[in-house]
Amino acid sequence: MQASRARLFKEYKEVQREKTADPDIQLVCDDSNIFKWTALVKGPSETPYDGGVFQLAFSVPEQYPLQPPQVRFLTKIFHPNVHFKTGEICLDILKNAWSPAWTLQSVCRAIIALMAHPEADSPLNCDSGNLLRSGDIRGYQSMARMYTRLAAMPKKG
Amino acid sequence: MNQPFFSGGGGYSCLRFHPDLKDSLLPTMFLSKACSNVNSPGVDQEGDVAEAEAVADAEKETLTSSETDDWKKYRDDDIMQQHSAIQAEQAVKVPFVGDKEPLSSLEAEYHLGNSIVLKKIKVLSEQYAAIRRTRGDGNCFFRSFMFGYLEHILESQDHNEVQHIKANIEECKKTLQSLGYAEFTFEDFFALFLEQLDSVLQGSEDSISHDELLCRSRDPSISDYVVMFFRFVTSGEIRKRSEFFEPFILGLTNTSVEQFCKSAVEPMSEESDHVQIIALSDALGVPIRVVYLDRSSCENNSINVNHHDFIPTSREVGISDVSKTTNPPSITLLYRPGHYDILYPK
Repeated sequence: MQASRARLFKEYKEVQREKTADPDIQLVCDDSNIFKWTALVKGPSETPYDGGVFQLAFSVPEQYPLQPPQVRFLTKIFHPNVHFKTGEICLDILKNAWSPAWTLQSVCRAIIALMAHPEADSPLNCDSGNLLRSGDIRGYQSMARMYTRLAAMPKKG
Repeated sequence: MNQPFFSGGGGYSCLRFHPDLKDSLLPTMFLSKACSNVNSPGVDQEGDVAEAEAVADAEKETLTSSETDDWKKYRDDDIMQQHSAIQAEQAVKVPFVGDKEPLSSLEAEYHLGNSIVLKKIKVLSEQYAAIRRTRGDGNCFFRSFMFGYLEHILESQDHNEVQHIKANIEECKKTLQSLGYAEFTFEDFFALFLEQLDSVLQGSEDSISHDELLCRSRDPSISDYVVMFFRFVTSGEIRKRSEFFEPFILGLTNTSVEQFCKSAVEPMSEESDHVQIIALSDALGVPIRVVYLDRSSCENNSINVNHHDFIPTSREVGISDVSKTTNPPSITLLYRPGHYDILYPK
């Protein structure tokens, strides 16, 4: 508990220091609880998520950093490796390939990379995975684009 | 900037091809991991392991649709929960580091078992007096090394050795920094090990007894941190000398050096092989002897127990290095396929 708190505090200071270094990620710690974080990540360019801003919720366990943080999308996203209803993310580094060398910031980078490189063969969102697997890139992109516009972009007017 | 390797994807099947997890989902619920089987008394363990492996192989080959449907019922969280439940079950049976036991306890474990193994244990008992078991949780090599090394320092009070390893640890820190690791990600693990190192040296306020060392080795908040320290050191050494390690790693897993470190060295509970032992021994400058106990035998039926000494390729040849090459290593581990324990010479 003490160790995880100390580590998170270091990450907090690092995030403050490096605020401008990574303009695609805005990582914020809850005012009253250092084990709760949220992040705003920009959809990567040349993907259907471009132009969208996606909110992620982090819940950090007491055994952190020996155990991974739990992360999910709060913003709806149509992506093969993200659960459409719960926002759960399937990424090996959040499961069995986790190690303390990762940080909340680098997890955000990995999630942005996952947005750009969906793994259709092991989908959490089967509809999205099936579109990609059947080669219907256009279908996948237009669905993903529609949800990006609906959920991840500011409303016009 | 260090951009660690990762791969995406998974869903329900995200963890499916991790052999340990997959087997834990089989209806029979047997623990196929060799580590998990080693400590069950009176069973021919290697037979068990071989059988488990055969079944696991069969499972892989006959991946019928009904089985994949079964897997779909499990979500990642369920799988991870079940995994930690199995670990908790193991934790009750064997502590991270056990008590010292006479070698006869090893013999008792095999009393109905393979005759070659029994003969080998007889040979072992001529040279070795005792064994100390460690938990089969994938960290057994690092955990055995941790206790073996700290106990050796506690008993020898070898200040020169401590100076020597501290200098190497400083090097390891620089290695990780130059590889792009953020210092705050590993410094806590380094600090905790250095603290243990200082406390086994007697004569200061923080000095600890042998009992306290055992206690700390069983406390996850210390023991797991030290294991993680070794994992950082090992990973740094492998990546620093990636040209040297690459052929070994390609032979083992067919992945890149960086990918291997990210998936098989740095994550907790990933088992260790030759590659990790060479890297750790070299990085810290600590020789390690590994004694092999398995069912193999020579053609003429003579029984030999093989061992291999991992002697660090010393960076700077000092006086202590020369003496080490002539003496047998102070740390001896017993390897049975899939598991490491600590051995004590007579």
